[in-house]
Amino acid sequence: MPIKWYNFYGRVLHWQPNAGHTVNSQILAEVSQCVESINGVKEGKWKATLSFYRPLLKDQSNAAEFPRDFLGISLPEQPNKYYFVLRGHRLVVEADSTIQTIMEKLQSYKTRVALNFEGFQYQLGDFQLRVGKVVSIQSESLRGIVMEMEYKPSSSWEKSHKIMGEFFDIWQEALSKRQLPGHFVHMEPNFGEYGLSGQYTLQHTAVQYATLMLQMIATAQSVRN
Amino acid sequence: KEKCYKLSLDLKQSTNGHVEALEILLLGLCGVPKENLRVHELCLKSGPNLGSEASEIRILCDLMQPEPAWTVRHVGGADQISVLVRTMVESKASKHVLRLFYLLGYKLDHELLRVGFAFHFQRGAQITVTVSSYSRLLKLHATDDDNVPVTPGIQMVEVTAPASAENYTEVAAAVSSFCEYLAPLLHLSKPGVSTGVVPTAAAAAASLMSFSGSTNIRHSEV
Repeated sequence: MPIKWYNFYGRVLHWQPNAGHTVNSQILAEVSQCVESINGVKEGKWKATLSFYRPLLKDQSNAAEFPRDFLGISLPEQPNKYYFVLRGHRLVVEADSTIQTIMEKLQSYKTRVALNFEGFQYQLGDFQLRVGKVVSIQSESLRGIVMEMEYKPSSSWEKSHKIMGEFFDIWQEALSKRQLPGHFVHMEPNFGEYGLSGQYTLQHTAVQYATLMLQMIATAQSVRN
Repeated sequence: KEKCYKLSLDLKQSTNGHVEALEILLLGLCGVPKENLRVHELCLKSGPNLGSEASEIRILCDLMQPEPAWTVRHVGGADQISVLVRTMVESKASKHVLRLFYLLGYKLDHELLRVGFAFHFQRGAQITVTVSSYSRLLKLHATDDDNVPVTPGIQMVEVTAPASAENYTEVAAAVSSFCEYLAPLLHLSKPGVSTGVVPTAAAAAASLMSFSGSTNIRHSEV
């Protein structure tokens, strides 16, 4: 297996409530306090956005021909970039943020339901942590909680993967003491399927947010059921 | 939305013989050396069911870069300021952008290969002048084959400048006024309308060539 090198290595997590529970701002407050309790230094605010794109069709009966999972994502590290993900086709594209203007002018797709991921970021040694609420722009209701963990130093995949795992264990242990009704989940997408190389990039982060979206939808559906 | 628009003027130039004169003129006006241009343009149109109206998008691949460099370009209709000025919005994109638009329901309508040169300089706005010939690809993605020139014997001169909503009028004025310098050699024509040779072209070209003091400048083939 070839050694893969990353500028930073990132992991995106989302809050999975226990059966019968939902996410609320109290949990968010507890999570933030937990970060500070392990000496996380608050640095400032962060915000990412996710939009669904739906085709404008003359004839709805052909809707199946068009992608149902077309997402647009903006990330705080690069405000002048925009990311498109077609999850079903394992496709990710990085573009300038002017691509949003192009999509508006084309009038072939419209943005529906948009989500904001926003909160505070913390410095913890070689790690940067982001804790954020997931808020629907339409209703401003709290839909979920996310965390981003970034291991900053350049290093081999094997080294950063192991350190990330150890850090995650420390974090989970600290959080478990608060006995909150749920836990953070991470599902690592198969980046190779997206044609992404071993070098970690914001395209990898965009794919993680798209994957997380799917999990959040699944969680919400199982709560309803 | 800083500088997300580009204003574009299309000028058509008569005969390849005057390209050298145009190059001398542009070198004098711009004061920078030219850059060679070789771009594969994939022109996509929306499929029949997509959107209440048909839409077009161009995916450009810069063949001069060591790795293919992709740009998405949307060209608007005629401008309110002038029928010759059009608004373009461009975005660089990573390599799967063509596949993205195919999956979104866009189909390849035609492909062009654009070969020529470009000057980038500042004159009231950040202006780019390109002089190029377009040929239509006969076989899918066959950029190396001999292809059909779109306007045989005629070069396209395109003048573009980035603009934002705030400085749009000033940039349009700078672009239009720069084009006046090119008037002796070129016709401002509506996109898609072919014009003949400019009456002053031959005389202007002759005067430029003799003034340059050099008779052996060749329009370099890329």
